[in-house]
Amino acid sequence: MNELEQINRNTGQSFMNSPAGKLTSLEIYDKYGAMAYGIILQIIPQPHLAQEVLISVFSSPLLQSCNSYPFTFAVCIIKLARAKAVEAKRKLAGASSPALDIRSDAAENSPQQVFDLAFRQGFSPEEVAEKLNISKPEVLRSLHAFFKSNRDA
Amino acid sequence: MNTQDLIKSGILESYLLGLASREEQELVQQKMLDDPELAAYVTHLENDVLSYFDANAVSPPQDVREIVHLRSRKGNAQKRKHVFNRIPKEENYNKGPYLEVEVSDTYIKVHKYWRPAFIIVFILSKIFLIAGLYYYFKSSGQEQEILRLKTQIQQQK
Repeated sequence: MNELEQINRNTGQSFMNSPAGKLTSLEIYDKYGAMAYGIILQIIPQPHLAQEVLISVFSSPLLQSCNSYPFTFAVCIIKLARAKAVEAKRKLAGASSPALDIRSDAAENSPQQVFDLAFRQGFSPEEVAEKLNISKPEVLRSLHAFFKSNRDA
Repeated sequence: MNTQDLIKSGILESYLLGLASREEQELVQQKMLDDPELAAYVTHLENDVLSYFDANAVSPPQDVREIVHLRSRKGNAQKRKHVFNRIPKEENYNKGPYLEVEVSDTYIKVHKYWRPAFIIVFILSKIFLIAGLYYYFKSSGQEQEILRLKTQIQQQK
């Protein structure tokens, strides 16, 4: 059970049926659809498959859990879009673990590569650490460095 | 672990991206409750994460929006149905045998058995109409025949 599912279990309320102040799935789509599609395309580059995943994100009952999510709606959408895309990618691969696809433009063990493995390819920080022969804290620090470098750029 | 160590550890980024373990999630949530400075930093970090993904946003085709719209309507209709089922029986009896349902369209739904029933009624109505016309013309023809025979008898007398 992931974090979103836990939140969903704890809150039985449905924001889609509730009165004003709560966003409908179409309003959420209008606001975050492009961002979610961009995330899904990073994980699944095939547009037709990415569109299917995008539809599943915005028609998912887990979208309700974003209403009670402690952070912004957008962060919740990012997690949900990634989770759905990684799940679809794994199903496509037909294997229990996804194939290693390290991007050639990323330097070895760079924050970009760590982010690519952890976010785009769906590996857990432990798996990334094992693949790159580094420790888990180093993997997490690389994620910090990745967003720091983006902020500074 | 103090606030600065936590910020530099990257646990906050992994938490926002959904990569953190259960223990790390609990640690971040607890620290955020205890430390308003950390909570403010996480808000700042959220903006950084959103900026990154917004920069990589791609507009999906218009058809996708239509499908999402249709699926969300379908999903809402199913949820409404579940809500009705959860209403206790006593409450239903107090309000009367009918539920007040507010609908936004002009369509009504009827049971599927109404279709064959309507077809049977339609066919029977046509049979009775044809039979009625047949017997009407038959009886009027017979009346004319009787009149003709009566005049014939009277002429013979």
